[in-house]
Amino acid sequence: MVLAVRRPKQAKGSLRMPIPTPFHPRTSALCTSYRWKQWAGYYAVCSYEMNHEREYFAFRHAAGLLDVSPLYKYDVGGRDAAAFLSRVMARDVRKLKVGQVGYCCWCNEEGHVLDDGTVTRLDDTRVRVTAAEPALAWLDRNRRGFDVALEDVSERIATLALQGPNSREILKQVCGADVERLKFFRATATKLDGLAAVVTRTGYTGDLGYEVWVARDDALALWDALVAAGKPYGLEPAGLDALDVTRVEAGFILNGVDYFGARDCVIPSQKSTPYEIGLGGTVHLDRDPFVGQEALKREVARGSEWAFVGLEIKWDEMERLYDSFGLPPHLPATAWRTAVPVYANGKQVGQATSGTWSPLLKRNLALASLRTPHAKLGTPLEIEHTIEYQRRTLPATVVEKPFFDPERKRA
Amino acid sequence: MMAKSYDAIIIGAGHNGLVCAAYLAKAGRKVLVLERRHLVGGAAVTEELHPGFKFSVCSYVVSLMRPQIIRDLELPKYGFDLLPLDCAFLPLPDGRSLARWNDYARTRQEISRFSKKDAEVYPEYGHVMMQMGRFSKPIIDDVPPDPTSMNPFEILKLLRLGKRFRELGEDNGIAALKLFTMSAVDFLNEWFESDVLKAPMSVSGIIGTFLGVRSPGTAYVLLHHYMGEIDGAFRSWGFCRGGNGAVSNAIAAAARHYGAEIRIEAPIARVLVKDGTAEGVVLENGEEIRARLVVSSLDPNRTFLRLVGKEHLDPEFATSIERFKLRGSSGKVNLALDRVPEFTCRPGDGPHLRGDIAICPSVDYLERAYDEAKYGDFSSRPYLNVVIPSLSDPSVAPPGKHVMSIFVQYAPYKLKEGPAAWPQKRDAFGDAVIDTLAEYCPTLKESILYRQVLSPWDLEQQFGLTEGNIFHGELSLEQLLFMRPVAKWARYRTPIRSLWICGSGSHPGGGVMGAPGQIAAREILKAGAV
Amino acid sequence: MKVDAVVIGAGHNGLTTAALLAKSGRKIVVVEKRDKVGGLCALEEFHPGFKVPGVHLDTSGVRRDVAESLDLARHGLAFVAEEPPVFAPASDGPGLLLHRDPAKADAEIRAHSARDAKRYVEFRAFIGRVRGFIARLLNEPPPDLNGTGAGELWDLARTAIALRRLGADDMLEIARIAPTCVADWLNGWFECELLKAALAGPSLHGTFMGPWSSGTTATSLLQECVASGGVRGGSAALVTALHAAARAAGVDVRLGSAVEHIDVAGGRVKGVTLASRETIECSIVASSCDPKRTLLDLVAATHLAPRFAMAMRNYRMRGTSAKVHLALRRPLEFRARPGQVFEIARTGETLDELERAFDPVKYRKFSSEPILEIRVPSISSPELAPAGQHVASILVNGAPAELEGGWTDARRDELGNAVVNALARYAPGVRESIVAREVLTPLDIEQRYGVTGGHIHHGEHALDQLVMRPAPQCARYATPIEGLYLCGSGSHPGGGVTCAPGALAAKTIIERPARP
Repeated sequence: MVLAVRRPKQAKGSLRMPIPTPFHPRTSALCTSYRWKQWAGYYAVCSYEMNHEREYFAFRHAAGLLDVSPLYKYDVGGRDAAAFLSRVMARDVRKLKVGQVGYCCWCNEEGHVLDDGTVTRLDDTRVRVTAAEPALAWLDRNRRGFDVALEDVSERIATLALQGPNSREILKQVCGADVERLKFFRATATKLDGLAAVVTRTGYTGDLGYEVWVARDDALALWDALVAAGKPYGLEPAGLDALDVTRVEAGFILNGVDYFGARDCVIPSQKSTPYEIGLGGTVHLDRDPFVGQEALKREVARGSEWAFVGLEIKWDEMERLYDSFGLPPHLPATAWRTAVPVYANGKQVGQATSGTWSPLLKRNLALASLRTPHAKLGTPLEIEHTIEYQRRTLPATVVEKPFFDPERKRA
Repeated sequence: MMAKSYDAIIIGAGHNGLVCAAYLAKAGRKVLVLERRHLVGGAAVTEELHPGFKFSVCSYVVSLMRPQIIRDLELPKYGFDLLPLDCAFLPLPDGRSLARWNDYARTRQEISRFSKKDAEVYPEYGHVMMQMGRFSKPIIDDVPPDPTSMNPFEILKLLRLGKRFRELGEDNGIAALKLFTMSAVDFLNEWFESDVLKAPMSVSGIIGTFLGVRSPGTAYVLLHHYMGEIDGAFRSWGFCRGGNGAVSNAIAAAARHYGAEIRIEAPIARVLVKDGTAEGVVLENGEEIRARLVVSSLDPNRTFLRLVGKEHLDPEFATSIERFKLRGSSGKVNLALDRVPEFTCRPGDGPHLRGDIAICPSVDYLERAYDEAKYGDFSSRPYLNVVIPSLSDPSVAPPGKHVMSIFVQYAPYKLKEGPAAWPQKRDAFGDAVIDTLAEYCPTLKESILYRQVLSPWDLEQQFGLTEGNIFHGELSLEQLLFMRPVAKWARYRTPIRSLWICGSGSHPGGGVMGAPGQIAAREILKAGAV
Repeated sequence: MKVDAVVIGAGHNGLTTAALLAKSGRKIVVVEKRDKVGGLCALEEFHPGFKVPGVHLDTSGVRRDVAESLDLARHGLAFVAEEPPVFAPASDGPGLLLHRDPAKADAEIRAHSARDAKRYVEFRAFIGRVRGFIARLLNEPPPDLNGTGAGELWDLARTAIALRRLGADDMLEIARIAPTCVADWLNGWFECELLKAALAGPSLHGTFMGPWSSGTTATSLLQECVASGGVRGGSAALVTALHAAARAAGVDVRLGSAVEHIDVAGGRVKGVTLASRETIECSIVASSCDPKRTLLDLVAATHLAPRFAMAMRNYRMRGTSAKVHLALRRPLEFRARPGQVFEIARTGETLDELERAFDPVKYRKFSSEPILEIRVPSISSPELAPAGQHVASILVNGAPAELEGGWTDARRDELGNAVVNALARYAPGVRESIVAREVLTPLDIEQRYGVTGGHIHHGEHALDQLVMRPAPQCARYATPIEGLYLCGSGSHPGGGVTCAPGALAAKTIIERPARP
């Protein structure tokens, strides 16, 4: 069954975009900077204050609270739910136990990634999929032969990401000890300050963290409960600018930035396979057929042309370059996502697609797609850098990713 | 008993000793660090003085920690995690207040309530100071140039500095000259009209120094605020997550990773000197440890006059060391609080409390505080620098509770009754501090769960800082660069062969910056001393 | 009227510049606001029959080479080999009579401390060693920081070589002590407080500093290193000789001629316009007024670039000295040494006492216990007072120009009383001996002499205002206005009665004529 997308009440009778999320009454009151952007048609806070720094440090040192309601969410119900998703996804979703969350990508028949997201086995017959782009039609198109019901719950479910080292303690205050036992990439249905909620230990910051899923009408109660419980623990509402820094530190790719879903691509070279964007680990190749399997098998046999790596840009060299212009080194205030060419011995071998200075690691980091021969750890490369309207290069090295991977994330 | 032999013994596990040890160990040397106390860190320690409350007992912010050290030693891997202070808050007795933020536009708004002109000039000032910071940076990252030397390399170095100076351009060049000779207040007078800027900005010129803000030579310290780099931006102050002990622990972990051995509770009685050469150390328990090199991170006074002994020193050198000004002038009060302190002038627990809070409403206030100290009293209304690290780093206090660290100046080591009178005066000193702060923050007194008062005398007793000087020697012009600690011995070597120094008493000086330790290690290795 | 150069102000520096320029063959006019020459050194009859130089009496820094180049001896100038000793009275005990010559000082110091007597010999020896270098620094125009010409580099090199000749040890010692405070420096040498206070005193005269202010060692060194004897007849005799020499060289000294403004067009000097609306055309103006008066008052604002004008506004001239002149019926006699007279006496028994006198200045108050530098010039120049009577000229430290509430007649009297009280502490008989009293507050000094802020040195002697004096943009006498030069105490090497700024400015003008 396919439900029509329900517009929220606030926008009734109008098609004005973007539209508010269920948390808007709270987030808009706090967003003194008026710095918003549009995320999947919704208002999303870039940073509550003019500068995202405090929010970043809240993520890393205490806890940050992020409205992730604009994520696309689909509930897949029915006997064949897991089997169906195993057919659509590159991952064998049947292997996920109830209460387990899996990170997946899904491809077209050429093996090109359409999107990535999480898959949560809520119970034997119900699986929830999150996606960056709408996926309802794609799921529906592949449904033939499976006994499943598809429901777009994007509007019905409100979601908050509670991320950071103190997130567990905060959550414990509102939903008891249950949460303490919740392992990494696991989900549990629980009562949170009296509200029915699903809590998953997932997130996009690469740290200890949770996402809490409640019915839309409970959104504000959830927000208030978490904010009240979090205060003694240094909880701060955080926006997407802070998130962007953390996700680069965590080495996570972003659809539309580090790669493009195949349906949005105009020419073949814009498309990527899971192996090319570092999602090879989520592919279960040797099993019954799934969409894109044949192409991916061929790629594995042949070897991938591209690889997705972490780069570190050398600070000393950067400082020297700036000094030669009589300038102090300058870093953009936020994470960047304008791709720049990467060279090996003067020849372009790929592109860096996003990057950031890591205040935590004190390293200048980037994520890059490179031709495989140049993707080995330690490979010396050059990355383009524009200074005073002049294009120069800076030395960079292929380094291990994720850049930031604390034990507490899994512990 | 003869213990096994080392390439180098580092005396003192303060941050500079540890940095030096880490670099030497990283270069493959066999290094032993000896620490008197039961924990590493020296003046950069975190101690749980009251259950659940973790205090950065002495140094409480990280200033100017050299970025190359952080990179070279991969300190973030070992828990070094810096949170920049994003506000400088100045409550005033008349109910007004000024908060300066890392955002110029916002700061301009704040300042314009006091002076529209100052608000406009503030970024211009920042711009010039940033240029000065860039000019000075090579100075703090290398051995000081030696103007008395005829060595062509030295002359080249001076010329290069001269070239850099010329590149500054005329206006900035003039500003640089002024910066190195003027008093903080006079320098700021040239830019600003409002006391609310001049007072809190000038005060950085006198921290840890027994000088008033009108003393010439205090202006250049203003640069420190523009010389540090956190995250590529020229600003310098931050909290370390877990307190300043975490800085030391991270460096210690890095040192151990490279193979350095660190022994705590190993107080040293003296440095073994034979025929003018250091051969090792003798612990207080009589144990002798030999090494090819001894490197002391203690202050020069302690190193030479206590551990080496005058009998091994050339009298002129000994006189110079005796003359090296330590003169502690500051104290510390640490509080455990059961709630966020609320300031009458700006209620609430907003972000203005997350940076440093200065009690110094006017230049005259600072001068009066200094006047009392000049004649041997602690200031009855002192300058306070208050931070509440638990607001940014909740891990240092139980949920909802807070730690407050108050840096206090002036508290002269030499009271007019003598330094030994401090134990009798300590509580009165603590009361003066609390009374001062309570004028701005009336609920403070009832929220105090625990209080620790450290006078300069206590700093000497507990942390081995001679005369309680937090920088191992005043940062006054005549004790900087090629004169720190003593002219001709400003390059980490000492007149005792095989004895080197690597503490804040050597160039480029104090603060949790690590540069003396790093440059000392580099010089030791370059000299092939081990 | 058209001349080669106009010199503004007939003080000792203005006359020096004028005389030297005239000797080089130029046609010179000196314009002086007052009806007498001498500026701060001019003799003033403050009570019928009682005369005293208005502000400056100390002539120990007068440059002998300047006197020689102007042949002042021919105009009646004579140097004395040695300054009179300084008496430093104490509340109890005999006080200290301090000679510069350690041999003569020995017994007096020994009475306080044998150790210090020995150290005093070493102290004077140290001054003797560094004297050459410091004197050279003070007797040459300051280096041009932005100069790239070989000449500038050579100047710098010569200074450096002179520095090296000192030997590394003394050089390092200068570098070490120069930025320190005079209290620290002297504490390093001596133990006797009275001796230290007496030595520290002059470095604080006229400055906004106390003995604990850093940089005061530098000012002390500068004074110690140029001191040599003095002029017979004092500063008044000096200006008389300078005036005579100037006239002999053809200088036209016009008294009662206040300058209304300096005429500038196209960035060049065109002449000066007097208050009488008379205009004197010239391509060179040398002003011995203070830099602020010259550049901010006498030059129209439109001729100065904003940044330079700001630098001038920022030049610090906050006067801290007052003068008290006493007409005395009897010789000034100190309780500790009855029957003796001293030409110079200096109060302040401890360094802390000097500092305490400075403390209120910071808060715009004057000290109720001011520190006094007392000179009785009538001892060697009896013509200054009626027979058997005396004049005392007292330089008072610790009276800020910017007094809270402003200077009034009542405050002036209050200050005068405080000074007499402070003096009477040591010379109890002085009260009964006073025939007349004149008190000059910094405001009075400003109004009488036209010195901004009443600053007797034409600007603070702080590290940043020495050498690069008054500001780097005009530290070499030439200002950004073509043809306008500074030749007063606001230029290197600074205030006091030395004639050095005037001579160095003249040298600069002669060697570097205005570009065609």
